[in-house]
Amino acid sequence: MIKDLLDVKRWEAFFKVLPTEYIPGFVVTLKVALAGLLLALALGVIFGMLSTTKIKICRFIARVYVEFFQNTPLVVQVFFYYACLPYVIGGRVPKFVLGVIGVGIYHGAYISEVIRTGIEAVPKGQFEAAYSQGFNYLQTMWYIILPQTMKMILPPLTNQALNLVKNTSVLAMIAGMDLMYHADSWGSDRGYFVQAYLPCALLYFLICFPLARLARYLEIRAKRTPVPKKPKGVA
Amino acid sequence: MKKSSMKASALMMAAAMMVSAALTGCGGSGSAATTAAADTTAAADGAVTADVQKIIDAGVLKVGTKVDVPKFGMQNTATGEMEGVEVDLAYEIAGKIFGCTAEEAKAKKLVAFQGVTAKTRGPLIDNGEVDMVIATYTITPERKETWNFSDPYYTDAVGLLVLKDSGIKSIEDLDGKVIAVSQGSTTKKVMMEYIAEKGFNVTPEFEEFDGYPSMAAALSAKNVDVFSVDRAILAGYNDDSTEILPDRFAEQDYGVATKLDNKGLADLVNGVVNDLKSSGKMDEMLKGWGIE
Repeated sequence: MIKDLLDVKRWEAFFKVLPTEYIPGFVVTLKVALAGLLLALALGVIFGMLSTTKIKICRFIARVYVEFFQNTPLVVQVFFYYACLPYVIGGRVPKFVLGVIGVGIYHGAYISEVIRTGIEAVPKGQFEAAYSQGFNYLQTMWYIILPQTMKMILPPLTNQALNLVKNTSVLAMIAGMDLMYHADSWGSDRGYFVQAYLPCALLYFLICFPLARLARYLEIRAKRTPVPKKPKGVA
Repeated sequence: MKKSSMKASALMMAAAMMVSAALTGCGGSGSAATTAAADTTAAADGAVTADVQKIIDAGVLKVGTKVDVPKFGMQNTATGEMEGVEVDLAYEIAGKIFGCTAEEAKAKKLVAFQGVTAKTRGPLIDNGEVDMVIATYTITPERKETWNFSDPYYTDAVGLLVLKDSGIKSIEDLDGKVIAVSQGSTTKKVMMEYIAEKGFNVTPEFEEFDGYPSMAAALSAKNVDVFSVDRAILAGYNDDSTEILPDRFAEQDYGVATKLDNKGLADLVNGVVNDLKSSGKMDEMLKGWGIE
């Protein structure tokens, strides 16, 4: 293991395939992760709000969505899309789309739960106060509740975002041309597994670590007590 | 110069001794060979290398074979037994190591089989999980840098499996088509070489999968157009809805792979393979399984 790690010849072989295999894979992973994150956030907000409404059928739909996707493995879901969607729609589904809907829907369910608990944690008085001021439901949510929710849910939300990035690697199993696929492919081709997987891990780290730092920064900023702006012209 | 030629002659002598030992030892299944086996095997020679001794001490030879390739390495679902020409070859090698015939090795269960895939076979050798891999493993110069390979015991070619209703009739119809190949296999490389060599104006796309069942599933869902691996393996996945195209290209040699450090074991294995080939037993074994 240590001998393999320090083998210069193997590292030379790796740097030869870095621009041709790893970088394109990295770009695919980045794209899938970004689009997947947007989809997951959208689904999370929609279903998170649905599960806090007073309308029973909405809550029911949200429950079914969350429970189903939270309690089945992502790999099964993605394999299902890959193997069964072509029969349903009668054509091939691009790997990018498979990846985005795979991680998007899966993490959307988790994010929906994060948002639901966030909304429920905002005191009821906030809703009542907003309604008494003439805000409708959506306005109440958008201007009053969700901004307060955001502060509380940032840490668990970051967890979900990071997991989403890492979970895009499931694409490797269906030849998704992502980072893990290329690393795995080259690794098993040459047998240089240390050189194949270690840089692959570093590249995932390169996406996740800044994301984690950003979230931490936002969290700290959000926790600061708001200071009212000084009105102009007052001595 | 002098030194190297001395080294070479010493090697040749060693090889010659190995072959002669193998010939009198476990080569044939005849009774004369059986009686001689006990005293002329590797175990009795006193010339056992440390890596071989380790296997003798363990009392069992751990071999990685395919479990889903008919005629080569296949698990009989009824009995749970491993069957195929590569399984027989494993018993021949075990016989040589433990000083008995292949039949005795089989009866005494001296070989522990482990299923491998194109993807897992390399790492399993390296981490010592198996002593050797006999699993339709193509010999390539790159792989020889990472593992020891014996001389080839069989030469196969790459084949193309398509759905009958796909309209694909030959490799020249593959422009823009998606070809499923096995991860850790040579198929992609050799097919590109063949296309370039023949000057076909086709640029197929390749997708790699870990394991043949997922490739077969991808083909039947039409996620890929072609399922391409060695013909020996392909035969196991051909059914009513599919056909193997007549194209036959990129002949490739299968060898027995061992860990790079285990030179002694590699020499021994090579001796067995060469002996089986020169005595005609290898051809018999292949014929016995209906392999051309």
